[in-house]
Amino acid sequence: MRPTLILAALILCAPPAPAEEAVPGGLPAVKIQDLHYGDVLFHFYQHDHFSALVRLAGYREQGRLDAHARDAELLRGGLYLSLGQHREAREIFERLLADLSTPPQVRDQAWFYLGKVLYASGLYEASERALRSVSGTLPAGLDSERRLLLAQGLMYRDQFDAAIAELDGWQGAPEWTAYGQFNLGVALVRAGREERGLQLLDAVGSLVTENPELTALRDKANVAIGYASLQSGRPAAARLALNRVQLAGSQSSKALLGAGWADAAEGGYQSALVPWLELHGRAVQDGAVQESYLAVPYAYAELGAIGEAVQYYEQAIASYDAERLRIDESIGAIRAGRLLQAALAAEGDGRQGWFGQLAAVPDSPESRYLYHLMAGHEFQEGLKSYRSLEFMSRNLSSWSDSLGAFSDMVETRQQAFATRLPAAEARLATVDVGEINARRDRLRARLEAAVAERDVTALATEQERGWLDLLDGVDAELVAHAGDAAYDDAREKARLARGVLLWRLHAAWKVRTWQANRAMRELDAAVYDARTRATASSRARQGAPERNAALGVRVTAVSPRVGSLAVRVQAAKAAQGRFLADIAIGELQAQRQRLDEYSVQARYAIATIYDRAGSAGAAP
Amino acid sequence: MKAMLVTLWALAACVAMAQAGAQEAPPRATERSVLDAEVQELRREVVDLNRDLFMLEEDLLFPASTQIAVFVSMDVGTFFALDSVQIKVDDKEVANYLYTARELQALRRGGVHRIWLGNLKAGEHEIVAFFTGQGTHERDYKRGATLTVAKSVGAKYVELKISDRLRKLQPEFVVRVWE
Repeated sequence: MRPTLILAALILCAPPAPAEEAVPGGLPAVKIQDLHYGDVLFHFYQHDHFSALVRLAGYREQGRLDAHARDAELLRGGLYLSLGQHREAREIFERLLADLSTPPQVRDQAWFYLGKVLYASGLYEASERALRSVSGTLPAGLDSERRLLLAQGLMYRDQFDAAIAELDGWQGAPEWTAYGQFNLGVALVRAGREERGLQLLDAVGSLVTENPELTALRDKANVAIGYASLQSGRPAAARLALNRVQLAGSQSSKALLGAGWADAAEGGYQSALVPWLELHGRAVQDGAVQESYLAVPYAYAELGAIGEAVQYYEQAIASYDAERLRIDESIGAIRAGRLLQAALAAEGDGRQGWFGQLAAVPDSPESRYLYHLMAGHEFQEGLKSYRSLEFMSRNLSSWSDSLGAFSDMVETRQQAFATRLPAAEARLATVDVGEINARRDRLRARLEAAVAERDVTALATEQERGWLDLLDGVDAELVAHAGDAAYDDAREKARLARGVLLWRLHAAWKVRTWQANRAMRELDAAVYDARTRATASSRARQGAPERNAALGVRVTAVSPRVGSLAVRVQAAKAAQGRFLADIAIGELQAQRQRLDEYSVQARYAIATIYDRAGSAGAAP
Repeated sequence: MKAMLVTLWALAACVAMAQAGAQEAPPRATERSVLDAEVQELRREVVDLNRDLFMLEEDLLFPASTQIAVFVSMDVGTFFALDSVQIKVDDKEVANYLYTARELQALRRGGVHRIWLGNLKAGEHEIVAFFTGQGTHERDYKRGATLTVAKSVGAKYVELKISDRLRKLQPEFVVRVWE
């Protein structure tokens, strides 16, 4: 949960509505043991929570996250929580906690996030129990957030003393301490211990910081001090705090208005005119600006400048009338459904700085009041839902297109398979892997026999085998002439030649047996490869039609789900749009009514001035 | 006029509470809660549907028998500021990815980017990765890493890891094959 969001809701006067932005931001560093878990984190760290959750769920189903099973579950729960899916998040955390083998660190995080889910669901007592079950292994950032959630939950239940006890003297992570002090200040003021509360708020209001979030917090604290001091009759203290508010920030109009009242409360009407006239130059849809239109003539009247007072009251009436027309125009635009288009167009990337940018949206009927509407929690939450429905609608439409392509792909594969199968089978029929295997076995047996008997001729080269055959022929011829002395010389030469050849074969024996064994091993590998490929090819031929058919069934089965969800999302989007328009129109009508009242007050003030002037003129 | 002053004060002080403090009309609260419940249910179903479609798409386009995925990860990355990664498989470019600052941040925090998911036939294949970025002293830096992968029947995952070689004050590019 981002601190600002907690604070946005924690304005002094009213208890906050729960903020929902939450995910294990303080996720501890993880040494990746599954690449797919890293892929989930890659999306998660880019705040692309939807993609992270979809991938996480998919990889989990495929059994690719086994090494990070518990971390992945914790993350899955956190992602559901960030998407506002409290039931799913709660189920996951409760399951993790019910598993006795869950290590303490994971348990603590599960308790923390469960507490957060319960808090966001408004179940503050149960949330407190869960948050107090944390045993102390949380990272500093999460522990700080835990403490703030505890205090806020107590404040929701009007247990301000307990909230004070929770936050008093607490020093959390540096960026959280200021928020803790602010909340504690609020709790103290609301518990009637104003002096101590204002002291703490003053510490926050005096922060020296460049951080935009802390600067906004400082402004809020100063405005809170300013108005609380004004109400308790301490205008000087109010002025001091209100002077610290930035002129360009979101709180500046309120601060200027209050600063004027602080001066006026001490009779400094001339000084009061300075901030109030500054407000006069600002956009009139701002409540503080609208009030300044009455405050300025009031100050002139108090200063005795009746002419200026009447002139400014008349200007106020004209401005209120113009503003009422603009409100009517905006209500018309909202009824025509243009507000939501403007809201979606203005949202940029939907992340940091967006709310600030809203202040500068075009001055058109549909976008003019966006900034003010967005200040309301209900509208903000409603728009969040509308945005998620818009996202779902786009997501489903894109899948709908893809499914068409998937169907074509399955069909094309089936056709291609049927076309290519006969040729492939004919080719494979020419190869008999069993025969190849048997030949390899026979060859091995011959080699082993030759080695066992040291049959050097078995490893003779082709040329040597030719010579051996030639010598065998010569010997046979010589046998036919046995006893004939004329062949003695030839007999001797043949004996010598065979001797030389055998000597060579013996000399090469070692090298040749090594080479033959190596060749046999290579042959084994090649035969194994051939066998594996033949099996794979056979399996592919047998399994491909079934696999394709199964994929076709999945594509066919999922299509109606996409279609029916798209219809329901459209209906929900329309309903959500109408709901938001009702809120916006209600808010603008209330503003219009306020302007009517201001207008009556201005007219009454003019009448009073004329009345007094008339009475003074008539007096003797 | 004093009465008006009091009115204005009260109005000003309650600017902040006007939204949250106002009592909400019961029909609107009921309508909101009905809509919220419907949005929650739809979101759950859309997440489940996306999960199923995510798996279906992978099974259809990248069946396990031919699937290969290349991932990029980063361990610290002090000596190398990554700009882009190009992947070639058997001399054919299959991915050329330029990283944004946000993606680099995600990598540094431990995220792993699946830069390419594709199909390869069984057998040997050469994968070449080129890392482009800035090395120490902001000097342009380009390094390549080559790996020969023996693709078998099951899915194959290749991790390209950028880490720091502290002793040499240089980046190191490690290639690891996961089954």
